[in-house]
Amino acid sequence: MKTRPPVDMATIDRRRFLRGSAFALALPWLETVAAAWPTSREPDAAEGRRQRLACVYFPDGVPMPLREDPAFEDWSWFPHGSGKDFRFTKCLEPLEPLRDQLTVYSGLSHPLVRNVHGHSNADQFLTGGPTGAKGEYRNSVSLDQVYAAHVGEQTRHASLVLSTDGGTGTPRGAHTLSFTRTGRAVPAEHRPKRVFDALFVKTDSAAAQRLALSRSALDDLMEDARGLRTTLSSQDRETLDEYLDAVRAAEVKVEKAARWANIPLPVIAADHLKLEVTPDEPRLYVQTMYELIYLAFRTDSTRVATYQLGRENGIGRSDILARAVGFPLSHQLSHDTKEPGGWEKFGIYCRFLAEEFGRFAARLAATPEPGGEGTMLDHSLLLFGSASSAFHLSRNYPLVLAGGKDMGFEHGRFVDLVGDRAFGGSWSGGQEPWQREFDYEDTNLADLYLLMLRRLGVAAESFADSSTPLASV
Amino acid sequence: MLRARIQPLRLSGVLSGVLFAALSTAAAFVVAPSAQPRVRAFESDGPSEGRQDRPDFAAARAEGLRRSAYLTKAAAPSQSSTPSSTPSSTPSGTRDTYGNELEPLLRAACYRCHGPEKQKGSLRIDTLDPDLEGGDDADWWVDVLEVVANGDMPPAGEEALADADRARIVEWLTAELHAAATARRAAQEHSPFRRLSRYEYSYMLQDLLGLPNEFGDELPPDPISEAGFENSADVLHLSTSQLQAYLESNRAALHEAAALGPRPEPLYWSVSMDAAAAAEWPRLSRQLEELRKRHAEAPETLEAELAAQLARNARRPGGVHFEDRSNERAEGRYVGATWGYDGAKRAFAPSSEPPGPLADATCVAVLPADGGLIVELGDRLPERGWMRVRVRAARASADDTRPVSLRLQFGWQASNDSNAVFKVSEADIAVDAPPDAPQDYTFDIPMCRATPRNLARGVNRMGDLPSPSEYIKLLNASLAGRALHIHHVEVIAPLIEVWPPKSHTRLFPAGTETNNEDLRARELLEAFMARAWRRPASADEVARKVRLFRSLRAEFDTFEAALVEVFAVVLTSPNFLYVASQAPDGAPGSALDAHALATRLALFLWCSSPDEGLLDHATNGTLQRPEVLAAEVDRMLADPRARRLSRTFVGQWLDLGLMEKLRVDRKVYPGFDDRLRAALVEEPVAFFDELLRRDASVLELVHSDFTMVDERLAAHYGIQGVTGNEFRPVTLDPALGRGGLLVQAGPLAMNSDGTDSHPLKRGVWLLKHILDDPPPPPPPAVPTIDLADPEVLKMTLKERIEDHRNDPACHSCHAKIDPWGIAFEEFDAVGRRRTEAGGRPVDAASALPSGQVLDGADGLKAFLLANRQDQLVRALTHKLATFALGRPLGLGDRAHLDRIAREARRNGDGLATLVKAIATSDLFRSP
Repeated sequence: MKTRPPVDMATIDRRRFLRGSAFALALPWLETVAAAWPTSREPDAAEGRRQRLACVYFPDGVPMPLREDPAFEDWSWFPHGSGKDFRFTKCLEPLEPLRDQLTVYSGLSHPLVRNVHGHSNADQFLTGGPTGAKGEYRNSVSLDQVYAAHVGEQTRHASLVLSTDGGTGTPRGAHTLSFTRTGRAVPAEHRPKRVFDALFVKTDSAAAQRLALSRSALDDLMEDARGLRTTLSSQDRETLDEYLDAVRAAEVKVEKAARWANIPLPVIAADHLKLEVTPDEPRLYVQTMYELIYLAFRTDSTRVATYQLGRENGIGRSDILARAVGFPLSHQLSHDTKEPGGWEKFGIYCRFLAEEFGRFAARLAATPEPGGEGTMLDHSLLLFGSASSAFHLSRNYPLVLAGGKDMGFEHGRFVDLVGDRAFGGSWSGGQEPWQREFDYEDTNLADLYLLMLRRLGVAAESFADSSTPLASV
Repeated sequence: MLRARIQPLRLSGVLSGVLFAALSTAAAFVVAPSAQPRVRAFESDGPSEGRQDRPDFAAARAEGLRRSAYLTKAAAPSQSSTPSSTPSSTPSGTRDTYGNELEPLLRAACYRCHGPEKQKGSLRIDTLDPDLEGGDDADWWVDVLEVVANGDMPPAGEEALADADRARIVEWLTAELHAAATARRAAQEHSPFRRLSRYEYSYMLQDLLGLPNEFGDELPPDPISEAGFENSADVLHLSTSQLQAYLESNRAALHEAAALGPRPEPLYWSVSMDAAAAAEWPRLSRQLEELRKRHAEAPETLEAELAAQLARNARRPGGVHFEDRSNERAEGRYVGATWGYDGAKRAFAPSSEPPGPLADATCVAVLPADGGLIVELGDRLPERGWMRVRVRAARASADDTRPVSLRLQFGWQASNDSNAVFKVSEADIAVDAPPDAPQDYTFDIPMCRATPRNLARGVNRMGDLPSPSEYIKLLNASLAGRALHIHHVEVIAPLIEVWPPKSHTRLFPAGTETNNEDLRARELLEAFMARAWRRPASADEVARKVRLFRSLRAEFDTFEAALVEVFAVVLTSPNFLYVASQAPDGAPGSALDAHALATRLALFLWCSSPDEGLLDHATNGTLQRPEVLAAEVDRMLADPRARRLSRTFVGQWLDLGLMEKLRVDRKVYPGFDDRLRAALVEEPVAFFDELLRRDASVLELVHSDFTMVDERLAAHYGIQGVTGNEFRPVTLDPALGRGGLLVQAGPLAMNSDGTDSHPLKRGVWLLKHILDDPPPPPPPAVPTIDLADPEVLKMTLKERIEDHRNDPACHSCHAKIDPWGIAFEEFDAVGRRRTEAGGRPVDAASALPSGQVLDGADGLKAFLLANRQDQLVRALTHKLATFALGRPLGLGDRAHLDRIAREARRNGDGLATLVKAIATSDLFRSP
């Protein structure tokens, strides 16, 4: 192929992209077509409301001191009390200003991996897939990619997939939260500069050419199908019509994508961003990644984003994020809770994560919805959580759901679905919590995901192993 | 005590008609030698006690042959006398039984509230149309069936319905609804026009491109038809997103084949076991050193401790280890082989220069059975192409001369929570060299089989965490007892014997046009399209693809890259993806086009495209000549690709996927392992393949004096003297109680619940897959066996089932299913023979409603051979023909099936004969 300017797309599946070439057919995945809406684009009437989804994951679980532990009052991650009557501990205290715009959940988890070590479970946080403990690996589509398939055509990028560690990672050691409909990992971008360039700087000069080529390939396939059709009985023509429909659907996608070629990129002043930042400056790095999601939403470049703050098990660059609050390594904090002051240290780290998530949510809450009612947060669902709670136990996931008032979410609650049965305490050798037998089962987290999808306007019958949305609150 | 009976079977109702249609004429007599407690269809003349008491299967088969309607009746059998899976109820017969039997019962039990006076729940039964097939009221009847079966109606307070009457209503409605549904399906016309199944797509690309990759992996899975097949026109749809998946998959496949980049440079790893062991000896040296330090002040203690440690080192470790055969090493003779992923410290570096020959090592790696030696290769194994692994190896024992099985695995460990290791060699290598004369053994492995790769490769550096390094693992795949010596391992990757590779030359063969790109493109496209579309493309069709090439050309640096894109479109065209019956210029309804016949043959026998020879016959117009067609079938069956027929057909026909779903209780069966699971699935496939190869009688599926086993399965069966992991025929000792598909451990195990046998599953499976007589599904909401009832818990399984059958709602169906499964009670959940179950002797005898006792698996097999031969042949004919045509068969196909089955029977029942009878039949050759 001829040399083209490099295309640094944060959201593109590299493997697919590298195959390159004549077919921009695969547009739901191959969103390389240049240009985007102007910054201040008003939604047109036909488009309806803009609704966004951002999912953020942190590894290694949260502090779960026992009730009799002196640290219980201040450093339990989950709030005290329940329903409307709850109070944040120091772990989530930074979210207090947003109290009425969020819900904290306990007692939710994905059923298929409850008996698997929590370190293997980031892969399935958004999928609920059967990722297992060892051996053959299978996963299924992630929540964000289901929504991206629904809404992705309306923006330049179907979704934005970010992580601190970058790439796909390895099976059961994911560096991404996003998985395609066939369960393949979507590589995540970890370099803020690349994300920014893809959103606001680089254009893909070959895109228009590729569109033209897609058109000729589709035209040709259509002619083949028409030729075959004339030889068929009426019954067989019905069978072949599925093929013709598929070609037509692909053509529609090509034409939709073609619109972007003529629309200039949004203009964003990057003065406030340090785009070369790395995890060596952990707080600034995390803030920058959130800011990029904010800007992507603000310019309607995408409506779907995932960000994996860190890989599980203290492996990779992300493990040094704890330096933001003066500790050397993040994962070690979850092991050191048996030491004096251990819960507090782990809690301080979790408080840092809550501060930055809260900053991101507050920024959306402070921005009026472009061309709509209320704030951007009212039109955005933000999920913040992890796939383990007490020491690698893959039950009772710590979860915060923020925003989405416009979608009918009523917040200001701690929905405590586990109550006193929550398993806690530190680990000091022997059987690990995830190896225990439990005499109760959590509620299926996919029930919440199904509720979110329906509220986002996706007519999904089911998600993962759930076909009953969580009773709305 | 049962009376010995020689009398026509009583056909009680339509369901019996379904189940026993075969008996109604062809074998309308059940023979029992005399009034004995247990009526066997056949008994040997020998002593009547003990395990030796087996039926004379040959005599049963001879008797069954005499009873065959196919062989004894000259004319094509009329519908009613055909052994058939299709219910032959007629509407008039149904109405008669309705008027005579059902209506009086319903009148007495229901009409008071659901008749002319009252219509409780808006239901009026007396006006419902009893014609369930043609009438409009089938849904109402389902409701009636449900409440009656359940015991909900008549309600408490109304006059109770007698058990016998309730059973009669349930039986009649269940059978009629089933017959009606079957008849409606059969009455449909089914066109064979369809898209390729995923596995056909994959095989076609393999044959077209000459690569071994699993090309369908990126496509969505295909649904399975009502009849159990994955190539069935009625279920093979195409979704709008699937087109894109095809296009991407095609492009990836073509780039793999075209290999357009520069010639890659091979890398060489040469690892002597002396070098591998060098990482281990220092551990022992350090131990000795520490002892010397610790006891420096106490020479006597030191001496004792050193002696003790050296004595320990002199002992042969249990696992994989190195043995210094010079025995001159101060640390001792043995050291355990260890490996850790951390820091990729154990990786051997490759060289770009070819190493010298493999050499004997002083320190050999010793692999006991099931032991594996990891040879870590780092992060530079290529993405594609082939890897050659050469191993200098020998048996460890000079005395035990049985060969040792060497298997190659590929794997990686990126972190403590992310790893993979799996087999990449196709067949094990039998290492037969004696320990003092090791030999070189070679594996050639396509890199595509090494999937998944380590995704940290190319992202992280060697030494980083997650580690990007990968390894091969040499595995001694023998069963217990035989160890293996490894001296030296060499790896070459990518292996390049010719460049560009053959797969490139297949796409770009030398041609006449060299200067003009358009003419060259035309020439290449014409050849490629003819192979891909399984027929010559018309001049217009080729011209259009040349135009497409021209419009794409400017986008690409090279001619080849542009053409590969057009090839991808050719493979996304409906002319590739769909199987049509007519040529593009043919009119709808004309005879099956010669090329379409060639494709149908190739899909049936090879699950793939026709090869050049077959296409030539189609183009020359010779394929439709009977002698040519027959010769082509013979040729194709002799081709290795015909194994795909055995594998795919048997897998789908027998629903071998059940084995994957089986969760064996390891507490009850601690010896059950993955190798046994794999062997259980392989045996039926290998057995069918062997019958096909020998053209042996299809009746051998019921009983045969041989089976196919590998070493693992032979151990499971208690067969002695089988060494190695390849399947081979072995003659069965009659005392083993094996022989035939029905008593192979695979079908028995996959129809268990993993803990105990499951007679109902086994019975349903046999009726459905072997006799082609599927029982109706249970009526909605029938009561299940109540395991909370302590009385029920005390019973044996057979007693529970018989108790369940006492429930009137269940009786009628179970009476016809259960005996077929109870006969296999002599086999446990993993298909082993047993004499006791739950501490009580096994009782495997049970009577069909006819009074015919099926006494154990042997009794059942003898009964089938003596009485059901036509049905067995007809059933397999039906299954094979459904697979061959890729569509459901209907009423209009029945006479054809009878003709084919008759032909096969008259020519000796050979399996290949039957396949050939199908492939040359009018049914197969019509559109």
